[in-house]
Amino acid sequence: MTPSIHLRMTLAASFVLAAFLGISAYALDKAFRDSVEEGFKNRLQGHIYALLGAAETDNSGGMRFPEDLPDPRFSNPDSGLYAGILGPGGRYQWHSPSLLGREEISYSQPLAPGVKRFQRNDGLYLLGFGLGWVDNAGREQSYTVVVAESTAGMEAEVGGFRLTLFLWLGGAALLLLLVQGVTLRWGLSPLRRAARDLKRIQAGKAEFLGGSYPSELRGLTNNVNALISHGRANQTRYRNRLGDLAHSLKTPLAVLQGAADGNDADDLLRAVREQVPRMNEIVQYQLQRAAAAGKTDVARAIPVAPAVRKLTAALEKVYRDKGVLCGAEVPEGARFFGDEGDLLEVLGNLLENAFKYCRSRVRVTVEASASAGEDRPLVGIVIEDDGEGIPEPEREQVLRRGARRDQQLPGQGIGLSVVDEIVRLYQGTLEIGESDLGGARVSVRW
Amino acid sequence: MRILIIEDEQALREQLQRQLTAKGYSVDAAADGEDGRFLGREYPFDLAIIDLGLPKMSGIEVIRKLRTDGREFPILILTARGNWQDKVEGLEAGADDYLVKPFHIEELLARLNALLRRSVGLTVPVLECGPITLDTAAQSVSLAGEALTLTAYEYRVLEYLMLHQGKVVSKTVLTEHIYDQDFDRDSNVLEVFVGRLRRKLDPDGTLQPIETLRGQGYRFRLERNQSE
Repeated sequence: MTPSIHLRMTLAASFVLAAFLGISAYALDKAFRDSVEEGFKNRLQGHIYALLGAAETDNSGGMRFPEDLPDPRFSNPDSGLYAGILGPGGRYQWHSPSLLGREEISYSQPLAPGVKRFQRNDGLYLLGFGLGWVDNAGREQSYTVVVAESTAGMEAEVGGFRLTLFLWLGGAALLLLLVQGVTLRWGLSPLRRAARDLKRIQAGKAEFLGGSYPSELRGLTNNVNALISHGRANQTRYRNRLGDLAHSLKTPLAVLQGAADGNDADDLLRAVREQVPRMNEIVQYQLQRAAAAGKTDVARAIPVAPAVRKLTAALEKVYRDKGVLCGAEVPEGARFFGDEGDLLEVLGNLLENAFKYCRSRVRVTVEASASAGEDRPLVGIVIEDDGEGIPEPEREQVLRRGARRDQQLPGQGIGLSVVDEIVRLYQGTLEIGESDLGGARVSVRW
Repeated sequence: MRILIIEDEQALREQLQRQLTAKGYSVDAAADGEDGRFLGREYPFDLAIIDLGLPKMSGIEVIRKLRTDGREFPILILTARGNWQDKVEGLEAGADDYLVKPFHIEELLARLNALLRRSVGLTVPVLECGPITLDTAAQSVSLAGEALTLTAYEYRVLEYLMLHQGKVVSKTVLTEHIYDQDFDRDSNVLEVFVGRLRRKLDPDGTLQPIETLRGQGYRFRLERNQSE
């Protein structure tokens, strides 16, 4: 199952939030720790310089320290601040009184003059500093001064900072999660509303998706509404067609019934011969009318030129003996926005009539809107032939259902009235006139 | 003329078979697409009538396969739906004409005639050779303006020979196009028909319209009149 949009967004936002807060907590903690350590280093450095400043010279010119040290903590045992000197060759020479009762500072090895090294060891921060000391004999002695301070104070400082940091970040996370939840509910509420409205439509409590939706959803809801109204219009149309079909079949059925009751075989035969074609015509007409899809707001763009080509090729094959000259003027970009079957039905019926009634020439002219580019909406179709034409008084009649102009060539009446029906479904108009070719000119505009 | 009917609806198939046989065509019928395609591929038909909605293999598919197999006889589609999508698809697949159900048998016969005529390169329904006039639309024959009474089989034999005027038509080919597959090939009924035709067309023996080429078959000798 696909997770809901709400779940997806909650998961994604929570992940981002957790990552962001985690990284900032780590970065802040590290920065604070580093700065505290840097402070320690500087302080230890200060102690070293102070010690060196207090250093005195012994008789031979070696280094020695007075009883009175610059920081009283050096003198108090176990004060947390310690100092020691490694003499030449790494021998241990002196340590501050504060180290009394503790083991000596374990500083790895003597350093060359001018070298500083900071390290952390057994809960102590140690800073070693190598220096050269010239004695009375003029020889340079190398000493390493080591100052150490307990980390306890710093740990307390860092711990306090961490507690504050985690409290604030945790609080912020909670607040952000809350805000995120509310935002999502608010942001997705139109979708929930659409689902609720659709349910109401299903239950028959509403007609359409009502109210105003945000612009991102408006396309969708408008199309849903269009589909609903199209479906409803179709349903009404089918119902009407079914009614029409049933009613229009009743008359021929009544005639047949009457003839069957009359006990006259010739009468019955005549009635059957007359009524069966009529019933066939009614069924065919209503069937084709019902099959037309009509205009939808979500129609695909159907290229017109291939449809015309297919139909004229098919009809040229059927009317091969007649040698019909068919000229088609169809702009390549012309598109019909509707059902492909409807387009084929309109073009097919009109073209078939033209091929059937022409002497030798048929002309198809398709007009597309003037806008340049690939998809130019279809504006009009004109189909002309050089046959007899349709006389003015009969033009209304051929558009009426089941009307037949000519018993010898069946289909014309139905063909044109089906075309008229389809064109009207697209809010278009059909006109019958005279062509300069000499025959009928049928033009469809939509 | 030998015709193949592929139609799954039994009542319509039998009715067509009866009516076309009565008109002198020899008719083979199949109830589904696969059978129809097999018959169409294996026997020399002059025309096929194919319903579009068939079980096992659709009419469109049958038409396409027959055309791929190189069968070039004309094909007439029968369709119940009558929408243009079906008609165009059928004609594109290789059919030559369509008829929407239900139809009058006269309409069907007229279309058959037109298609058969067209398949032998004739553009008008009437064939005139010397004093003999054959009207394929009315299915009538006249000799120097006088109407002749021919049986359906005699008419078919003459029509086939005249449509293939100047060419030698073997007895086997003639039999195959005049009779359906159940016919007894060994009978000499064909010779009887030709003999009767000769007597009717040429009572005094001066015209000699049908030649017999020993061991090869028959040939309609008279040339088509140029006035056509």
